[in-house]
Amino acid sequence: MSLLRIIGLKAYFPTQDGIVKAVNTVDLEIEKNERVGLIGETGCGKTVLGFAIMRLLQPSTNIEGRIMYNGKDLLKLSEEEMRKIRGKEIAMIFQNPPTFLNPVLKIGYQIAESTQLHQGLDKKAAKEKAVGMLEAVKIPLSSKRVSEYPHQFSGGMKERAMIAMGLACDPSLIIADEPTKGLDITIKMQIVKLMKEVTRQGSMLFITHDLGVAAEICDNIAVMYAGELVEYAKTEDIFKNPMHPYTRGFLNSLPSRGLKQIRGISPSLIDLPSGCRFHPRCDHIEEVCKNWHPEMVECDKGHYVRCLQYG
Amino acid sequence: MRIEYVIKRLFYCFLAFFVGISITFVILHLMPGDYISHLLINIESTISPEASEAFKHKFGLDKSLTEQYFIYIDNLLQGDWGYSFEYGVPILNIVVEKLRWTLILLIPATLLSLLIGVFIGAYFGWKSGSKLDLSVLNVMIFIRAIPSYWWALMFVLIFGFYLGLFPLGGYMGIGVLESGTDYLDILHHSLLPMITLTLCSIPGNYYLMRNSMLLTVGEDYIITARGKGLSEKDILFKHTVKNAMLPMVTMITLELVFMISGSVFIETIFSWPGMGMLMIDAMNARDLPLLQGIFLMDTLLIIIANFTADMLYSCIDPRVKVGE
Amino acid sequence: MHRKVAFIIGKKRLKRNVAFTISIYILVAFSIIAIFSPVLTPYDPYTITGTPLEKPSMGHILGTNDLGQDIFSRLIYGTGITLFVGFVGGGLAILIGTFVGIVSGYYGGVIDEFITRGIDLLMVIPMFPLLLVLASFLEVSMTRISILMGILGWTMFARVIRSQVLSLSEYNFIYGAKAMGASDSYIMIKHILPNILPLIIVKFVFAVQTYMIMGVGLGFLGLGDPTTISWGQMINRAYTNGGFALGMWWWLLPPGLIIAFLSIALSLGGYSLEDKINPRLRREIEIS
Repeated sequence: MSLLRIIGLKAYFPTQDGIVKAVNTVDLEIEKNERVGLIGETGCGKTVLGFAIMRLLQPSTNIEGRIMYNGKDLLKLSEEEMRKIRGKEIAMIFQNPPTFLNPVLKIGYQIAESTQLHQGLDKKAAKEKAVGMLEAVKIPLSSKRVSEYPHQFSGGMKERAMIAMGLACDPSLIIADEPTKGLDITIKMQIVKLMKEVTRQGSMLFITHDLGVAAEICDNIAVMYAGELVEYAKTEDIFKNPMHPYTRGFLNSLPSRGLKQIRGISPSLIDLPSGCRFHPRCDHIEEVCKNWHPEMVECDKGHYVRCLQYG
Repeated sequence: MRIEYVIKRLFYCFLAFFVGISITFVILHLMPGDYISHLLINIESTISPEASEAFKHKFGLDKSLTEQYFIYIDNLLQGDWGYSFEYGVPILNIVVEKLRWTLILLIPATLLSLLIGVFIGAYFGWKSGSKLDLSVLNVMIFIRAIPSYWWALMFVLIFGFYLGLFPLGGYMGIGVLESGTDYLDILHHSLLPMITLTLCSIPGNYYLMRNSMLLTVGEDYIITARGKGLSEKDILFKHTVKNAMLPMVTMITLELVFMISGSVFIETIFSWPGMGMLMIDAMNARDLPLLQGIFLMDTLLIIIANFTADMLYSCIDPRVKVGE
Repeated sequence: MHRKVAFIIGKKRLKRNVAFTISIYILVAFSIIAIFSPVLTPYDPYTITGTPLEKPSMGHILGTNDLGQDIFSRLIYGTGITLFVGFVGGGLAILIGTFVGIVSGYYGGVIDEFITRGIDLLMVIPMFPLLLVLASFLEVSMTRISILMGILGWTMFARVIRSQVLSLSEYNFIYGAKAMGASDSYIMIKHILPNILPLIIVKFVFAVQTYMIMGVGLGFLGLGDPTTISWGQMINRAYTNGGFALGMWWWLLPPGLIIAFLSIALSLGGYSLEDKINPRLRREIEIS
C-alpha cells in the first residue's frame, strides 16, 4: 500500500471573476521512501495541490476526490483528527519564509511548538530538540541562534529554519513548497544538498518550478499543467525521454538546453482551453487536439503521459 | 543597542518637551487680554494704575517677552512652575492636586476601555463576518458617533436625575463636612463620569483591534501555524493576538490625547474637580501662568505616554531593538 | 479562511454602500435646511415671540426657552454653523494635511525626515486645550474658530497621507513619469493625488464628523460668539438655565439628538467608504 494516494482530486475556488479550477482530477501516488517532484509553471495549481493535502485551503474551496493517507481519507477526517496529522505525520515546508515565519516569536519557539504539541516534550526538552534541529539543518552556533528572531536570520538561514520546523516531529511525509524560490544560486545549492540529506529516509512531495533542483532530489517527477498532471515518470526518463510536448518545451527552456521559451502564455485557470489544455501552445497540434481531452496513458513501464500522439 | 535606543528616545522626549512648552508659551503670551485688564472690567477700575503696575512688576510682566521666556525656563529647570494669579499659590501644587482627581477617572477608564475594546475587537476580528460581528460593529460605530458630552448629559439625566442612582455631579457629598473623607462616597461620585469616559473610548480600541486582527489572520505565518497542527485556540493566542496588538501600542499616545479632550467635557458636566475644570477656570480668569502650567502637565503626560509606547513596542516587537 | 474573510467583507461592502448613499442624502437635506433656514422657520430666532419656558404647542412646536425665543426656529438656524464648522474646519485640516503629506512622502529623504520629526514634535502639544484657550482669548466668532480648528488639527491627516504616498512612490508609473521628464508638481497632482483621493475623501468625511461634534462641543462650553445661534450654545443654555432641572426635555434634547443623528449618518458613510477602499481589509491569498 502506498503512503499517499490521491484519487481524482479537484479543487475549485469561487472568486468574483469566476471559478478558479486550480486542481483538475489529479491522480498521484507516493510510496514510502519515495520522493516525488511536482513540476510546473507558476500558477498551474501545484501549491494548491500541496495545500489541499494538508487541508489548509479556505473552507469556501470546493474539494472533490480522495486523498488516501495510510488507508485513511484525509478529506473525511474531522478538523480535530486532521490537526493530529498536520506537523506530526505530514509536514509542510513553505516557500518565502520571511512571511511564513512569525516575526515576533523566537525561531526556537516556533520549532519547539510542534514537538511540544505532538511529542509531548516539556519546554526544556523541546528547546534542546530545537537546538538539535537547527544543528541538523547546519545552522552554526545553534544554541545561540535558537533564541533569535526571524529578522536576525539571513534568507538562506530562514529557509533552513523553516526546514527544521517541518522536520521537527519526524513526519512520514514532507510537502516542500518551492523551498529554493528566491534564493541565490549558491545558497540554493546548499539548501538542495540539505534537503537531499535530511529526507534520505521518508517520503516527500517536492513542489518546484525548477527542474534542475527536482532532478537533484527526486526519484520520480510529475509534470503539472493548467491544474492537471500531463506526464509522470522516473526522473531520468523525464530528462532522457520527455514525451509530452509541454515537458519537452519546459526542458528546452532550461539554461543548459538553450533557454528556448514555450510560446504563448499559461492559460487562465478560470477559462481553461477546450480539448487538450496545452493545444494553443503546442507545436504538434492536430485538429483533434482542439476538441478531444486526452487521458493519462502508460506509454512505457511507469511512464505516463497525457497526449493524443501516444493515445 | 538597547541602551542606545532608550537614550535616543529620552533625548527626543526632552527635545519635544522644550519645543512643546516653548510654542505654548509664545502663543499664550501673544494672547490679548491679560489678567489685570480682565479683572478691571469685572470690578470697574477699583484697582489704581499704580497697583496694576506693581502687580505687573511683581510677576515680571513688565519685562520683554524674551526675558520672560528665559526666566520661565530657568524657573522650570529649578522645579518652580510659578504662581497662579487667581489662586495665589504655587502652580505645581494646584496642578498636581487636580491631576490626581483627573487620574482617578482617567486610569480606570483607560484600562477598562482598553481591556473591553481589545477583547471584543480581538474576538470579532477572529470570528469576523458573522451576523453578531456586524451588529457589534454597527453598535460601536453608533457609540463612537455620539459626542461624549451628550453621553455624559444623558447619563446624568437618566441615572442621576430620573433614577437617582448617582449624584448629579461633584466629587463628594455634603456629609463629608462632618464625617471627613469617605472613599466610598468618592467612588459613588466618580462612577458615572468614569463609565461615560470608558464607554466613549471603547469603540476606538475595538475598531483598531478588529482591523488589526483581520490583517493578522490573513498573514502567511498563520498558515504555518495551522500547518503545524496547532489548535485554533493556540493560533489565536500565541500567533495572532500578540502580533495584532502591535498597532494598538502605537495608539497609546493618541488615546491619551483623546482622553484629555474628552475629560474636559466630562469634568465640566459632572463638576469633577480635575484638570479639565481647572483649565476652564483658568481660562475664564485669564490666569496665564496657571494655563501654562496646565499645558506643561498635559505635554508631560503626552510625552510619557509616547515614551511608554516606544518602550512597550520595542519589548513586543523584537525587530525594533536592532536597528531603528 | 482568508478568502472567507474577503468574501464576507465583500458582501458587507455592498450593504455599506447603501449606508454611504443614505448619509449623502442626509447631508444634502441638512444643507438645504441650513440654506433655507429663514424660509423654514416659523419665527425669528432672535426675537422674543412667546412667554418664557412655554411647553410645546401648535404655536411653538418645541416650546420656548428661558427668554421666550422659539426653540424650533433656533434649532433650524443652528444647522448652518454646525455644517460650516465641520466642512471648513475639516476641509482645512485635510487640505493642509494632504499638502504636507504628499510633499513629505513624495520627496522623501531629508525633507521627509524634517517634516515627520516636526509633526512628531507638534503632536506633543495638547491641541484641544490649546484650541479652547485660543477660542476663548481671541473672542472670535465660530467661523474663525473653525479655521483655527483646521490649522491645529492637520497633523494626523498628514501622517496618514504621507504613508500612503510613500507606498505609492515605489510604483513604476511614478518612475515612468519621472523618466519622461514630468515635473515634480505635475507628478504630485496628476499621478499621486488621484491615487490617494479615495483615502482623502474617507478622511474628509471623518474630519467633518469630528469637527462638527467639536464645534458643538465648544459652543456647549460657552466659547464662540454668543450671538450666533448654535446647537452647542442651545444645549449649554438648556443645561445651565433650568431646562435640565425642570425636566424640560423639549429644550435640552433636540439639539443633542440632532447632532448625534448627523454624526451617526456621517460615520456610517465614512466607515462604508473606508471598507470599500481599504485594500488591506480585503486581502486575498494568491493562488500559485
